[in-house]
Amino acid sequence: MDFSTFNDAERAHIQRLIEQKQMRDFMKFYTGLVERCFNDCVNDFTSKALTTKEETCVLRCTEKFIKYNERISLRFGELNQELMQQQAATAAQQQPGANP
Amino acid sequence: MSYLYGGQQQTINPQNVAMAEQELEMVTDTFQRIVDSCYKKCIPTQYLDGELNKGESVCIDRCAAKFFKVNEKVGAALAQKSQ
Repeated sequence: MDFSTFNDAERAHIQRLIEQKQMRDFMKFYTGLVERCFNDCVNDFTSKALTTKEETCVLRCTEKFIKYNERISLRFGELNQELMQQQAATAAQQQPGANP
Repeated sequence: MSYLYGGQQQTINPQNVAMAEQELEMVTDTFQRIVDSCYKKCIPTQYLDGELNKGESVCIDRCAAKFFKVNEKVGAALAQKSQ
């Protein structure tokens, strides 16, 4: 997105919105991770205690998901940037003529 | 140079803000969907260890790239339909 036409007040406002969203997203990330690892690791309800096996699974699940998230974020950033460059190039090509 | 910045209050155009918000929503929603889809497709739930192995890593890279391609194809098809 091209923010160059926005004034400082608008940019500051949008920055605040982004920060609020990041906070919400972090909480979603946390609750989502708990849900994921719970569903993938805990299936035995013969006791209310976590078994050693379940605990190991949960720790690995957490570790793996954090690494997974890092990698996919990196790729997403790259692909998204590529896409935006492509769109900018297409828009520049269409600039001289009027929109059909 | 303070007169450039300290002077009158700038007004916020709600349309600009709404546009940025929509864009942000679109990008984060797409990201979340990629995260969920590619996790299902690439990460086995046995959790034999906490590392990403080679196969999982390659799968993630390809999965993300393909998701973008599908996004593009669907977008183009939708655009054509709505013409």
